[in-house]
Amino acid sequence: MSEVLASSQKPADALAAGAPLPAKHLLEGRATLARVVIVGAILAAWQFVPVSRGIKFWLSGPWEIVTTLVGWVVDGSLWSHLAATLGVMIVGYGIGCSVGIGLGLLLGFLPRLHRVLLPFITAFYALPKIALAPLFIILLGIGMGSKVALVAITVFFLLLNATIDGIKDVDRDLVQSLRLMGANSTELLSKVLLPSAKPWIFTGARIAVRYAFTATLLAELIAANQGIGFLIEFYSGNFDSTGTYAAVLVLVIFSVSLTEILSRIERRAASRNA
Amino acid sequence: MADASMQPALPRGRPEIEIMTDTSADGTRQDLPGGYLVWQLGLGVVLLGVWEWAGFVTGSQWVNRPSSIGYQLAQWSTGEIYPHLATTIIELLSGLVIGTILGVLAGLLLGRATRLGPILRPIIVAFYSIPLVSLAPLFIMFFGVEMLPKIVLVSIVVFFLLFFNTFSGVATIDDDLVATLQLMGASRREVFMKVVLPASTAWVLAGIKVALPFALVGTITGEMLAARSGLGYLLNQASQQFDMTAIYAVLAILMVVGVIVSEVAVRLEGWLLRWRNTNT
Amino acid sequence: MRGAVDQMAAMGPARSADRAAAQIELKGASKTFHVRGQAIRALDPVDLSVAAEEFVALVGPSGCGKSTVLNMTAGLLTPSEGQVLYGGSPVHDLNRQVGYMTQKDTLLPWRRTSDNIRVALELACRATPKAEADERVARMTELVGLKGFEHHYPNELSGGMRKRTLLARTLIYEPETLLMDEPFGALDAQLKLVMLEQLQALVQQRRMTVLFVTHDLGEAIALADKVVVFSARPGRIRAIRKIDLPRPRDVYTIRFTPEFSRYHEELWDVLKDEVSKGTDI
Repeated sequence: MSEVLASSQKPADALAAGAPLPAKHLLEGRATLARVVIVGAILAAWQFVPVSRGIKFWLSGPWEIVTTLVGWVVDGSLWSHLAATLGVMIVGYGIGCSVGIGLGLLLGFLPRLHRVLLPFITAFYALPKIALAPLFIILLGIGMGSKVALVAITVFFLLLNATIDGIKDVDRDLVQSLRLMGANSTELLSKVLLPSAKPWIFTGARIAVRYAFTATLLAELIAANQGIGFLIEFYSGNFDSTGTYAAVLVLVIFSVSLTEILSRIERRAASRNA
Repeated sequence: MADASMQPALPRGRPEIEIMTDTSADGTRQDLPGGYLVWQLGLGVVLLGVWEWAGFVTGSQWVNRPSSIGYQLAQWSTGEIYPHLATTIIELLSGLVIGTILGVLAGLLLGRATRLGPILRPIIVAFYSIPLVSLAPLFIMFFGVEMLPKIVLVSIVVFFLLFFNTFSGVATIDDDLVATLQLMGASRREVFMKVVLPASTAWVLAGIKVALPFALVGTITGEMLAARSGLGYLLNQASQQFDMTAIYAVLAILMVVGVIVSEVAVRLEGWLLRWRNTNT
Repeated sequence: MRGAVDQMAAMGPARSADRAAAQIELKGASKTFHVRGQAIRALDPVDLSVAAEEFVALVGPSGCGKSTVLNMTAGLLTPSEGQVLYGGSPVHDLNRQVGYMTQKDTLLPWRRTSDNIRVALELACRATPKAEADERVARMTELVGLKGFEHHYPNELSGGMRKRTLLARTLIYEPETLLMDEPFGALDAQLKLVMLEQLQALVQQRRMTVLFVTHDLGEAIALADKVVVFSARPGRIRAIRKIDLPRPRDVYTIRFTPEFSRYHEELWDVLKDEVSKGTDI
């Protein structure tokens, strides 16, 4: 490391390099403390800085918000909304993924067809999917079906493109050498194309979770009688700021947990592969 | 840490719409007699023809017919559509510009702040993980039904995407490049202008590319929820009147807007990052 | 034997007599890195003095702390013990009197060749009128043989071309002192000789002080007034040898002179023990 200019050490760090460094967990502990202080200060200011009644109407306060949320938990109404959001998301995601990967493999294998279809795929891909919501609502009703359709079509295009990109990324020389060994198309698929497209598909599937979540929420905003998106739309429509913030808090907790769960799954998958 | 799956949009070496290779995955040359354009146009004509025929045979308002959609578009093009188009474009662009400028600035500043940056990072990541577009009703509650709530919504969505991406980009800047310029006698400002800024460009552009479709979605969602003008408003009106022709016509317009938006993003990146794209 | 070499070094006459003040001086300077709680000694305390306008070459096995000496002189690293003086005062913070050509590729990837070479001239501290800068860039581009590649981006250049761009970028602003870390490592033998000659001419003309790290002993003897041999890690000075070959030296033919061979044999004797101790052979 000493052979590289400055290596990873900036001049300021280099000064510290000579002295014994503070233990890492100590630094991390201080950062956590700083975070708690920052967030705590904001919450305290929100709660305790006196404002006029008019402003308080819009701002609400952390205590009121948490109380409202706890009320939802106690009376059990929260769970049906969470279940609705989760249900739409999972079903739509599942359909979108399977159809997207399936068609992606097909088009990856039929490059001529893919090239003919490309402008059509690009155009539909670029269309903001939420605009399809009215169409789905008219065709499939206000229930779960229309929302699942919206989530599925969002996820579908992501996985379709990821799969096709993955197959196009395959090392041509590898394919050629397997052909020379006498591999047929099925063997080519199972031995080269699928394994090398796999990381692309996984990346696409990972990104698609976020998009599926967003699409679910937006569909619930537009037309629903259940779900986190419905909660936000309902309370803000009634100018109930406390209820709106409580719904947003549900959204935050849901998003952060989702992210955390995903990164756990990923880490486990990564360690299994390693 | 939630970091693992919350990765910023990575800058890519090549524009994404570069899939026109002349050999397929199985190594054979791919060509079609007559060229691709003919086939694509042909397919388009056939699809429209089948749709038209189906609409004619069923006589159904749900299926509709390309010809009546075309007629609707033609009628709108004499004047009625332009205020709506203008509203949507103004909301989209203002939100994009405000969000991008603030997001990049905040990302650069906090990215260079060696103390504050690491402390705030998890908080930023948490914000980034929330689908902010879904906060549209909140802004409508605050700012009413005119253009302002949509502009605020788009700005905030774009801000966080750009902020997060720029922040991550600054962290990857090679310290040795900074040291090199410093040894030459560069001031802090010069290091910023000549190293930090250009090195972040790729990340900023990758952020903009991700942000563009979200900005469009934010605008349309906001308009569909509450508005007096705009393409989303038009769509909402049409669906309340079960006017399928108008719905399809708005979707056609939005498709064109979407294609233009993504094409602009790809071109912009290709041009600004030509130092990456070229290869001997 | 080590003593003998040191003695010879002490007896050798200086290139010019009025060079009493040391430009760069290491006084018992050492460096210990802490990597994941483990202390790694890169450099044992070293005493080294480089006079103004002197050309000093550092040779030794990989990882012997030669680059650490350069980094400390540039102020990028602080010695763990001892002191590094530049122009008589301790180096703290970055040393802006030096031009540093690193082993690592530090070209700005978004700038074309000529704009990379120009960058130092754009800075406020030596703001140069555009016409003059253009002219100097053109001259320097030609000097390092990159004519015709002015408008290429770094990722379009070969490794050797990038090295030459780095060299041109460092030389163009004529810093008081040049720090060079294996500047010609990636060049083919032919081109290397051309570059050595250009460097020698430029250094003499501009009266620069040079601290030059290389693992090529021949290169060191051909260029330097003084060759310093380092031991394997932790780095320690094994020998300092004055090279009394007349200047200007013909880098093409000097290798075939008996004096050159004598120096080479003598220093190789010291170096070979260290190289065999080194990690990379």
